[in-house]
Amino acid sequence: MYYDRRVVKNTQSGEDGSVLSQKVRLLCWIMTGPKNLESRVKHIKATWAKRCSKIFYMSSVETDFPTVGLNVSEGRDQLYWKTIRAFQYIYQHHLNDYDWFLKADDDTFVVIENLQHLLSKQDPNKPVYFGRRFAPFVQQGYMSGGAGYVLSKEALKRFIKGFDTGECTHFSILEDMALGKCMETMKVEPGDSRDVNGRQMFHPYPPDKYLIKKPPRRRPWYLLYDHYKPREGPDCCSDHAVSFHYIYPVQMYMLEYFTYHLRAYGYKYRYNPDVLEESNNTTAVYDPN
Amino acid sequence: MFGQIGEDGSVRLLCWIMTGPKNLESRVKHIKATWAKRCSKIFYMSSVETDFPTVGLNVSEGRDQLYWKTIRAFQYIYQHHLNDYDWFLKADDDTFVVIENLQHLLSKQDPNKPVYFGRRFAPFVQQGYMSGGAGYVLSKEALKRFIKGFDTGECTHFSILEDMALGKCMETMKVEPGDSRDVNGRQTFHPYPPDKYLIKKLPRKRPWYLWYDHYKPREGPDCCSDHAVSFHYIYPVQMYMLEYFTYHLRAYGYKYRYNPDVLEESNNTTAVYDPN
Repeated sequence: MYYDRRVVKNTQSGEDGSVLSQKVRLLCWIMTGPKNLESRVKHIKATWAKRCSKIFYMSSVETDFPTVGLNVSEGRDQLYWKTIRAFQYIYQHHLNDYDWFLKADDDTFVVIENLQHLLSKQDPNKPVYFGRRFAPFVQQGYMSGGAGYVLSKEALKRFIKGFDTGECTHFSILEDMALGKCMETMKVEPGDSRDVNGRQMFHPYPPDKYLIKKPPRRRPWYLLYDHYKPREGPDCCSDHAVSFHYIYPVQMYMLEYFTYHLRAYGYKYRYNPDVLEESNNTTAVYDPN
Repeated sequence: MFGQIGEDGSVRLLCWIMTGPKNLESRVKHIKATWAKRCSKIFYMSSVETDFPTVGLNVSEGRDQLYWKTIRAFQYIYQHHLNDYDWFLKADDDTFVVIENLQHLLSKQDPNKPVYFGRRFAPFVQQGYMSGGAGYVLSKEALKRFIKGFDTGECTHFSILEDMALGKCMETMKVEPGDSRDVNGRQTFHPYPPDKYLIKKLPRKRPWYLWYDHYKPREGPDCCSDHAVSFHYIYPVQMYMLEYFTYHLRAYGYKYRYNPDVLEESNNTTAVYDPN
């Protein structure tokens, strides 16, 4: 039998992952601590972290995991100090080699290629950051910490400057909200991370939280917080989703399989970002109750 | 290409779901909303006819009736629909099936050959049998022989274990158990949800579902084909999850490890995940 050794090229223009990673220099850092290295971070390291141009595991203690030891303590009330110190470390040592700077938790799963694709259309010299935009507490809103957020090079510079000049301070232990306030103060714009069909890419919860449309009820907080009108059901989530949160090791390996392997042979996708979506075929609303 | 091709070029596949009155709203409704529509034809087999719609077979409900249900369901299909289809899938009401991947597997097979496909188990039957929960699919010839077996008495209701008993009838009627693994040896039919096999566990006394496998079982990412056909013990929430994961979620520009139309150039699944 004749075996064809040609690599199957994706026929859509623009879908070339190797070019993307050269174009979008993405530094990732994971907010973690000593007690989560074996139980959680090991599995991030085994799955998605390697797809970043550069990855740091930020902790209070330096180890040969490897982790960076920041000048902080452990604990939920230290998260914003960790964030500040992590970004300062990155700014001091790696600013020039990267264009975008992602922060994720040790229970966040990130599809790096989809993030790179989103960022490839953005200017890192513009003061902007992306994530799951929440509305409360900060006039212009802020990005959910658990879903991960990514700062442009200019945004990172302004974050650092804010702490140098005192325009930004550690005024709260709520890391995501506090950083969002600093972004607002420093005139960094909250970007719109939804795909061209309005589906969300960053998710502060696992997929089942949004994919299942529930009967009318008093809206839970995570729907009230959303800046953009939240959707439940299959329209919630982009085909090119960037992140999910509250993802523990077993689910990390599941998501690896689901994102990078499992698919339907010959299926024509509902969403092809490089061409206009011809028809909206998500009118079916799933209601399991 | 074997068999007749359906209107849209795909394999003519009739699917039937083994179910009952109490699962229609809680489970079958969600199968109907997700994967069932991809079959050329779908039947919901029950003890009671309803306008869900369900077919009412001459059986009772209960775990001990499952093989009677199976026999009656295949007899019904044989009597009414044999000529319009080439392949006949049975699934449970907690099985999720990726129909396109099943069609792709079957497109390379001959429905006039006595063969059936599924997750091959080794025990109890000399040539093995196919796991019921993972779903199994009979060729037209296999269905004919199953029916004939009951006509002549070569096959009987000798056990309530539907999958094992059907497997015994297949053996008796000289229907071959097909190999449903993909070209890289990864399984396509799964009697459990994905997490059961995808996570490699520490060395331990092997659980039954690994003992039963006819082909050497694999744990870790090599367990499961990119073009998986089925998962079992999938309840409504997970059905919608699997819809999203199979038909939508993907990585932009990613070069897949498995492209069945070309030879896989390198084996890049050496990483064995061990979460413990």
